[in-house]
Amino acid sequence: MQWTIFLAAETAKEGGLFDLDATLPLMALQFLLLVVVLNVVFYKPLSKAIDDRSEYIRVNQSEAQERLTKAETLAKQYEQQLVESRRKSQAIIATAQADATKLASQKLMEAQQEAQVQREQAQRELDQQKQHALRSLEEQVDSLSNQILEKLLGQVPG
Amino acid sequence: MDTLHLLDTFNLLPFAELEVGHHLYWHLGNLKVHGQVFITSWFVIAVLILASLAATRSIQRIPTGMQNLMEYALEFIRDLARTQIGEKEYRAWVPFVGTLLLFIFLSNWSGALIPWRIIKLPEGELAAPTSDINTTVAFALLTSLAYFYAGFKKKGLGYFGNYVQPEPIMLPFKIIEDFTKPLSLSFRLFGNILADELVVAVLVLLVPLFVPLPVMVLGLFTSAIQALIFATLASAYIGEAMEDHGHEGEGHEEHS
Repeated sequence: MQWTIFLAAETAKEGGLFDLDATLPLMALQFLLLVVVLNVVFYKPLSKAIDDRSEYIRVNQSEAQERLTKAETLAKQYEQQLVESRRKSQAIIATAQADATKLASQKLMEAQQEAQVQREQAQRELDQQKQHALRSLEEQVDSLSNQILEKLLGQVPG
Repeated sequence: MDTLHLLDTFNLLPFAELEVGHHLYWHLGNLKVHGQVFITSWFVIAVLILASLAATRSIQRIPTGMQNLMEYALEFIRDLARTQIGEKEYRAWVPFVGTLLLFIFLSNWSGALIPWRIIKLPEGELAAPTSDINTTVAFALLTSLAYFYAGFKKKGLGYFGNYVQPEPIMLPFKIIEDFTKPLSLSFRLFGNILADELVVAVLVLLVPLFVPLPVMVLGLFTSAIQALIFATLASAYIGEAMEDHGHEGEGHEEHS
């Protein structure tokens, strides 16, 4: 160490533990200079780095949050659509079924009515024919009885 | 106070010797300064600046290595300043408080870890800058100036209102406090570091091997704590000076 170049060592006539001298203001000045220098090379850049990073994280987080909510709304929307279409299809099936039953019952009723009509007609024809037959029978009975009567009466006077 | 004469007898031992109160004087004009203090403080300053340059050479979003370490230190300092000074005002004071913390911490640890005494000086011996009363008084006075500056900047002449808060009867105590604050700050740091170095030196003198190790470890602990205490108190004083007295009932930070 070549400190001796700068040094002027002195016999320690004064000195001691509580030896305040020009070291004090020079140290204070040196310290203030250090504050200024460190402010430029350390505090400012690293503070900026830390703040930028937290800002970056904050922005990213809020973006992700936003995307998450968007995805959630989309999922909910899809689910709703699904439910709706399911309900719609069920409604379609139900109407189709109802239509079919209605049609079937209608057809059935029609057929029954037709059958009824036909039966009634047949019955009527039958009745007519019966009456016709009865009437002709009656006529025949009449004529026969007349003939019998004539025969009987004719023989008597004759 | 000269060398501890009591211990002169031990100087026959080749291992170590004690020197207290011997300084290496440099003359600047007709001013005298303690050279050994400046040599070690320049070392500490160089370490700080080199570490900062290494940390900020290429700043990454995902920090590694030196940047990580220095960011850890900076976050620690910012937390300290924020809790003591408050969310609104702390940013301007981070450099001051942080440099106090880093410089004192590195000084203390350099005194505890680096065998400065190997480097022979014509007079005195190298030690932690904080074991010299000039350094600690300088820092303490700067702290006083800092909190006066903070108070006047924030409140103007209304800062004197602090002296009659919460009761006017506090006035004399508050005025005394302005003197005791730098006094206690400087002597606490100076005393702790010097005492630690002396204890280690005396133990090394008596039992050179292994026995001083626990005390050295304890010394590391005390050194770190003293740096933290100094920075915390400095920021507490600054915060106190800027404190709003509009609403009562806020606890003041008392110095330990």
